[in-house]
Amino acid sequence: MATYDFVFSSLGLNDWCSEGESSAPMSMAQLLSKTKGEESSDTTSLWELPFPSMDALNEACPAFPQSRELTKGLEEGFLDIKDSLSVVLDPITQPLSWFLDGTLYGMLNTPWWIIIPALLGVVFLVSRSWKLVSFVAGSIFLLAFIDHYEYAMQTLSIIFVCAFLCVLLGVPIGIAMSRSDVMQRMTIPVLDMLQTLPPFVYLIPLIFLFSVTESKLYGIAIILYAIVPVIRLTNLGIRLVDKDVIEAADAFGMTPRQKLYKVQIPLALPNIMAGVNQTIMMSLAMVVIASLVSAPGLGVLVLRGIRNLELGVGLVSGLGIVILAVILDRVTKASLARINASQKQ
Amino acid sequence: MANDIKISIRNLFKIFGPVPDVALEHVRRGMNKADLLEQQSHVLGLRDINVDMRNGEITVIMGLSGSGKSTLIRHLNRLIEPTAGEIRIDGEDVLSYSEEQLRKLRRERMSMVFQKFALLPHKTVLENAGMAKAIRGYTTSDFEADARKWLARVGLEGNENQYPHQLSGGMQQRVGIARALVSDAPIMLMDEAFSALDPLIRSDMQDLLLELQEELHKTIVFITHDLDEALKLADHLVILKDGEVVQQGDPQEILLNPGDPYIVDFISDINRARVLRVRSVMKPGSEAEENYAGDISERDNLETVLERSGGDTELAFRVVRDGRQVGSLHMKDLTRALVPTAAATESRQRA
Repeated sequence: MATYDFVFSSLGLNDWCSEGESSAPMSMAQLLSKTKGEESSDTTSLWELPFPSMDALNEACPAFPQSRELTKGLEEGFLDIKDSLSVVLDPITQPLSWFLDGTLYGMLNTPWWIIIPALLGVVFLVSRSWKLVSFVAGSIFLLAFIDHYEYAMQTLSIIFVCAFLCVLLGVPIGIAMSRSDVMQRMTIPVLDMLQTLPPFVYLIPLIFLFSVTESKLYGIAIILYAIVPVIRLTNLGIRLVDKDVIEAADAFGMTPRQKLYKVQIPLALPNIMAGVNQTIMMSLAMVVIASLVSAPGLGVLVLRGIRNLELGVGLVSGLGIVILAVILDRVTKASLARINASQKQ
Repeated sequence: MANDIKISIRNLFKIFGPVPDVALEHVRRGMNKADLLEQQSHVLGLRDINVDMRNGEITVIMGLSGSGKSTLIRHLNRLIEPTAGEIRIDGEDVLSYSEEQLRKLRRERMSMVFQKFALLPHKTVLENAGMAKAIRGYTTSDFEADARKWLARVGLEGNENQYPHQLSGGMQQRVGIARALVSDAPIMLMDEAFSALDPLIRSDMQDLLLELQEELHKTIVFITHDLDEALKLADHLVILKDGEVVQQGDPQEILLNPGDPYIVDFISDINRARVLRVRSVMKPGSEAEENYAGDISERDNLETVLERSGGDTELAFRVVRDGRQVGSLHMKDLTRALVPTAAATESRQRA
């Protein structure tokens, strides 16, 4: 019948194959050829030799699983453990929902004439540059003037919460990695995977695990996506701290704790801040994608622009995202430059 | 007090590699450094080091790069653990110390000055100088007076609030020395402390160190690859080669009686007139019959004497210590001592 019949007959598996004869569902190709009334010809030329894939082998032996059973099995397996996984994950991640909802509520229900000066105050604190403060003020007033203030603040609050949590979790993980080579070897593949997985793929298992109405769903997706640089650069920064200074710290009798807080972290700070900058920029990228799973903010408008082909809405909100990105980048870079200047070597 | 042994190193071995114990056996049976690397792929760091360092003296450990001198100094505060041997400080076995005791030793009894300064770039000069005290838990206000005093002493008055990167190399190393002095530790380890500085500044720093030592009488262990520096500073000179002590003793003695062709090579280039002192080449005794051209101190170097004689080789000088004559020096002897091999053979004959 099929190309790879000989494999099963030579292995003496004909009996096992015929057991599954009728049970396997027909593939689309089989259905088509059946309706056309054609019989698949026995003689296939070498040119058309199919790769011995699961589907090709299934043609020869119906008991052999088709590849769609692999994806199906994965799905069923995931659904089977989903409930018990939720029991554990739900309570752990619940604070994230509260945190996100609380911040969103706070940012949106405080009047703009408090929020905007407060933001500008923060900008001045970290950058000490009036030029930057006036640039940020101009950008926010522009966004507010075209009635995108609320959306922008939603996006900003989500970024603040997620980037804050990324730093809170990422820096200790990075420190642990820098202290133990075993930890580093185990963590790096995970980081590589998180960095290379297409952002949409994060969303798939999360949708199954949590309800789409919960804010922690997009919170987790953003944190997973954006935490990588801060971990990597914390690890790198601490490992790059001048060996001579570490030796001096040892020679004068510092405890490991003193060494960490008084030498390693301060000297790694430029690298850690570069990681924070990257993390914030990646949160912004992900918060737009996360609008697919009900993350509020400018991303929703972009999505509306695509879905309803509302060109103007999409372009303006896209521009808003660019403005936010420039603001966040400039402010974090300015604080990074300030740290760099204070510890030139 | 002055002659008490402060630090004593006995039969110290250090071998770098995955299984140093096995390699140690080979080394004890006499395998040399090159064979050990080739056959056992272990690196011999130090072989059978025995050195006594006296209280209040400057012990200089000299050797070329790769001779193990930096490895040796790091054994004293156990930044590197030895493979075998014994290190005693004030009679206590440092190797048996617990982590807590070791930390106390490093904090209170030893300080260290580094080749690359190793200052904290994010702290001011004042905070860097007080680092040792800060580690012990003092606040800036506790050590500020002390730190200011020592910074002024090393010539950095007015720089207290600057950051290390605003200072030149020489000034940074002065901070490094002030840091070691503020710690009040009786032992100072100096790992090629002046090697990264340019020659004029290096000479200034050597003078500064000698001046401070005059007043403080610390036990200083000084590492260098520069023979002139070693001879200028050393009370006791240890010469290392390939991880072994080639010769140790009074530097003048080593200069006049080199015990190894390696050392003869080494000392052939130096300015002997500046390094040799009158006491090493004079004729001891107090015969008064000669016609002396003047009095010289036994601690003067030959360069000073040459200058006073104006190049006249017929002269003789009276050598005095505390106003009393202890010997005499003929310019002929002085001139002979300036020729490396001649001096060596002559002193061998005299012995």
